[in-house]
Amino acid sequence: MSELAAVARAKLQIAKHSIASVRTESKLKVGVISFCAGGMWVGAFFLFKEGLEFLIRFGADVSGSGRGIGSIVLTRMAGVLTLAVFFMLIFSNILVSFSTLYRSREVAYLLHTPMSFRTFFIARFVECVAFSSWALAYLGSPLVLAYGYATGAPLIFYGATLAFFVPYIALPAAIGSLITLVLARVFPRLRMSTIVLVGILGVLLLFLYWRQSVGVNRLSEDTFLPALLDMTSQTQSPLLPSYWTTRGVLAAAAGSYRECVFNFLLLISNALMALWVAAEAAQRIFYMGWSSLAGRERGRSKWLGRSPLAHLDGLLRALPNPERVLVIKDIRLFWRDATQWSQFVIFFGIMAVYIANLRNMSGHYQQDFWRSWVACLNIGACTLILATLTSRFVFPLVSLEGRRFWILGLAPLSFRRLVFQKFWLSVATTSAFTVGLAILSGSMLGLEPIYFALSVYSVIITNFGLSGLAVGLGTLYPNFQEDNPARIVSGMGGTLNFLLSVAYITLVVGAQTVILQWRVLGLYTSDTGFYVALAVVVVFITSLSIISTMIPLRLGLRNLNRMEF
Amino acid sequence: MGEGMIRTENLTKRFGSKLAVANVDLEIDAGEFFCFLGPNGAGKTTTIKMLTGLLHPTEGRALLGGHDIRKEPVQAKQIIGYIPDSPFLYEKLTGREFMRFVAGLYHLPDARAIEYGEELLAVFELRSVGDQLIEDYSHGMRQKLSFASCFLHDPKIVVVDEPWVGLDPKNIRFVKDYLKARTREGLTVFMSTHTLSIAEEIADRIGIIHNGKLLHLGTVPEIKALADHPGSLEDVFLELTQGDEV
Repeated sequence: MSELAAVARAKLQIAKHSIASVRTESKLKVGVISFCAGGMWVGAFFLFKEGLEFLIRFGADVSGSGRGIGSIVLTRMAGVLTLAVFFMLIFSNILVSFSTLYRSREVAYLLHTPMSFRTFFIARFVECVAFSSWALAYLGSPLVLAYGYATGAPLIFYGATLAFFVPYIALPAAIGSLITLVLARVFPRLRMSTIVLVGILGVLLLFLYWRQSVGVNRLSEDTFLPALLDMTSQTQSPLLPSYWTTRGVLAAAAGSYRECVFNFLLLISNALMALWVAAEAAQRIFYMGWSSLAGRERGRSKWLGRSPLAHLDGLLRALPNPERVLVIKDIRLFWRDATQWSQFVIFFGIMAVYIANLRNMSGHYQQDFWRSWVACLNIGACTLILATLTSRFVFPLVSLEGRRFWILGLAPLSFRRLVFQKFWLSVATTSAFTVGLAILSGSMLGLEPIYFALSVYSVIITNFGLSGLAVGLGTLYPNFQEDNPARIVSGMGGTLNFLLSVAYITLVVGAQTVILQWRVLGLYTSDTGFYVALAVVVVFITSLSIISTMIPLRLGLRNLNRMEF
Repeated sequence: MGEGMIRTENLTKRFGSKLAVANVDLEIDAGEFFCFLGPNGAGKTTTIKMLTGLLHPTEGRALLGGHDIRKEPVQAKQIIGYIPDSPFLYEKLTGREFMRFVAGLYHLPDARAIEYGEELLAVFELRSVGDQLIEDYSHGMRQKLSFASCFLHDPKIVVVDEPWVGLDPKNIRFVKDYLKARTREGLTVFMSTHTLSIAEEIADRIGIIHNGKLLHLGTVPEIKALADHPGSLEDVFLELTQGDEV
């Protein structure tokens, strides 16, 4: 058996045991997660289907000739989506391959074996690909099926999509891994945080360049179609792998098999070439980079003569112990883990993009109907960003204590204080960002005072609800075996937390949307009726938030008190 | 010897149908150095984890300084220190930051935390690496940091699970002497180890556990006297545990 086959077999066995271990999980948990994941998938399918059918009808209405304009818009949107995902996969693979190739505990073990670095790289590469792209398969599949359904695509379209998917995710993974290999070899003395910061700045500059060149605000002009075609023309370059993917899959849907096969061969040959180049690079430069990283001298940045984090002690002096040392410890661990805060910075990027686009939108919606919708969507956007923050960064907090839990378990500290320390830390940090975002976005949209107040209140109260859910479920379903927060989040508990968070904010935003839209549609006989409905909704979302905070925290705490380490 | 500092009554732990620890009754006095011996899988670590509150007994109870670890965990934990066999620490903290963290958990005043923390770092020869991240420490350095942080709050009881892994001979000698010296100041040490020569050298009393049952309890000469062919503690141990793996 070759080394690669041995590693693959071991990984398959691990996967088999992991899947089998689901039987030992709580049936309720498995049931809720399966139901929510299935529901979300089905919901996404219908949402995509409706959207795509609307676009197709839109094209038919305007042109009067069936699928003219809609088809063009769909093609362009597919081009934009595949290109954006392609770049996101490259970035994600840079981060994932760094931890998989250089930081994982398995690396040292595998390097002891008589395995070539090329084989080692390929073995780890498969893991990188799987880890960085499973979410794409989950979220992309309803879109593909909806597209096939809406356009009446033949069966071969689905087969072609599956065939294209593998090289489409392998190519950015190979590029991302190659970038990591080169960075680790060329800049081994640079700290990971510096590399990640440079990467983020690069992506930001790329975004600013793209924004400048395509002029997003032109979408708001009357000449929608020419503007859309113009701004998306860059996605139609025949040099882009995303273009080959889109063209190939759409050709399969249209029955143009020759074009489909041509694009498939173009994509797979490039993916194989990139993988070969990355594997050869690994053979030549991986070990030097790895040993340089392992042997580098570690210095930490100083600020006013001390490390910036040393100032935390003074800044948080008002907090009592042990909460103070726990907060300081959590912040230090977060800050020193580049993969953690780099993803946090990405959220800032998303917020910045959102704010930047609001500037373009605010002037275009003068009608009450749209202003009301924009207010509701704004609450939705703010709370969705918040839910993503809590799901990604707050949920793993308890799990990250991991095999070090004996330190806290032995300390004269009640678990209640520990759990509430995590809860308040979450509320304090996420509020700083999301309440600010709600105020800023509300002001930029020029929301009328009642909408504005409702938006800000909703975001404040959901900070409590979502933090309670994340800390509570993180304590109820901790994973003490895993040190990688991204993997903790992608487990069953993390998935359940995200799905319940989405369900919670759907209820919060949905309740407000109903009363605000009723007002716009003139369904209240008087202002009093509206204010009564408003009061009911405020009571509803407050009660819902209290429930979302207290029940998971209680359940989590009960679990922690029963737990053995 | 003083009052019973560690007491277990009918301490029992089952994992499903497997009986890991069965009806262990122990009483260890203040200032006593107690060594807990047994083959792999005998129930040593399970007993230690029940003593420290990391595992809940299926039956019975463990009292530390008179406090039931289940009913009065905070009071019991105030007087106990624990050094595990695998010192998993916060990799992204420095040694000095870790000491401050532990001091905060035990509500030590800042001034004392700094002063005594530095003293302990010096005692365990970690002062020069105190500002390095723990992820850069060797196994032995981590083990020494566990020791240093364990003594920060001046515990009355220290529970040690196989402390010699990763320590060089010089440090083994130092830790051994340090623990023995502290017992003379009234510290109670409960140590699980496979290094029988050290147990023979420093233990006031020895307990031998096998298949979850406490087989024998006594001073080193008393334990040696139990064997048909008295020799070193190692010979006696192997005979008493019928040749099981140590």
